[in-house]
Amino acid sequence: MFNVLNIVLLLVFVLIFPGALFTSAVGLWLAGVDRKVLARMQHRIGPPIRQPLYDFLKLMGKETIIPHAANKTVYLGAPIVGFVSLAMIMLFIPVGGFVAVSGSADLVVILYLITIPGVALIVGGSSSGSPYAGIGISREMVTMMAYELPFVLVLLAVARKVGGANLVFSMESIAAWQAANGSLLFHWSMIPAAIAMLLVIPAEVGTQPFDVAEAETEICEGPLVEYSGAPLGLFKLNTAMKMFVMTGLFTALFMGGLRTGIVVLDVVIFVVICTVLTILSMTTIHAVTARLKIEHLFKFYWTFVAGMALLSLVLVWFGL
Amino acid sequence: MFKKLVDNSALKSPWIYHINTGSCNGCDIELVAVLTPRYDAERFGFRLAGTPRHADIVVVSGPITSQSKERLIRTLAQVPEPKCVVSLGSCPRSGNVFKGSYSVEGPLEKYVHVDVSVAGCTPKPEAIMEGLYKAAQILKEKREAMKK
Repeated sequence: MFNVLNIVLLLVFVLIFPGALFTSAVGLWLAGVDRKVLARMQHRIGPPIRQPLYDFLKLMGKETIIPHAANKTVYLGAPIVGFVSLAMIMLFIPVGGFVAVSGSADLVVILYLITIPGVALIVGGSSSGSPYAGIGISREMVTMMAYELPFVLVLLAVARKVGGANLVFSMESIAAWQAANGSLLFHWSMIPAAIAMLLVIPAEVGTQPFDVAEAETEICEGPLVEYSGAPLGLFKLNTAMKMFVMTGLFTALFMGGLRTGIVVLDVVIFVVICTVLTILSMTTIHAVTARLKIEHLFKFYWTFVAGMALLSLVLVWFGL
Repeated sequence: MFKKLVDNSALKSPWIYHINTGSCNGCDIELVAVLTPRYDAERFGFRLAGTPRHADIVVVSGPITSQSKERLIRTLAQVPEPKCVVSLGSCPRSGNVFKGSYSVEGPLEKYVHVDVSVAGCTPKPEAIMEGLYKAAQILKEKREAMKK
């Protein structure tokens, strides 16, 4: 009896609340807000906020063409793998005060899971057999290498700050520490790390200045060039979910411990913070910049962003 | 119910792919003007797609030169169903001033069924907007006629 209840609860976690349904709903909301605010920044009226939902539903109703050169299983499986891993990540991130699954090394699991959607894009693109996808995936790989280093440094800085000499990688301990000592964002030694993390978000999601892999005007949307119909819709949904996962991770790492005690209210506050972060880190940068070249992106991340994260790590290592 | 949602979405999010078949660039500039802040086609969900695989509406401009004819046919074949074809300007309709040239193989109707034809040399952005919106409505009808 107890076992059955546990399994049902786990299914609800995976499919509905912090998992697939909740993540995709909030992801589509964030993507809609991003497009609307971007339009207002450019003095346009812009699409309605539910536009990403329309796009997703429309793509579900389109014909799916599988190219001759493609490996059918990999080609259709890649977007599903990305979707599943993104839904899984949300189980480890405390949404407000709500934690679905907790362990002693959540951050390491999140770090691994978060690379999977990028890898799925690479695998799917390379299986489509288009030369444009070839260029796109090579750029995607370089982008991943570029943001992965500062990302790991940020996580190390957080782990050292919270755990002292023995690093703590548990999201629950990080949240508890922040509830006791104040959010990490308000500790001055962590501010460079927060800025680095804010700059990692757009590269991970792939928005304007850092969307070299999916440059639609020069290499026809890179890895997605041959995709059409439902798999393309899933990839678009993955991008929207990444927005929520990344901003949610930032909120949990740097602004955790803000609790009212009522779970529903906490979740609403969490989503509001994610929306503000989306506008701050993605929309604003998108509105004022043009696309970078891949070598400039790499240089920017391994000098400025990694430098910021390293500065924080060194400060924290000296006990500040 | 799910089918109805999908059918309605076809009207709300038409993605455009633009093919230039030897156009003088006048119509192409006007099409881009439709997407700029002044006319802002994005408020109806229009978006310029980078590849024909993502497109719902294919906009063809130019009188179809011998060089571009084969590319045009191949590109149109790559667009997934349901799709709409819009001819932009007078060139794809009649050949315009290029009619009778040895290197022009128009009109567009010879190669594909044209759903909406926007006339003018060049058409005004308002006319292009209306043509595109009509195409989106035809797109919805085509989507409704599909089985699933």
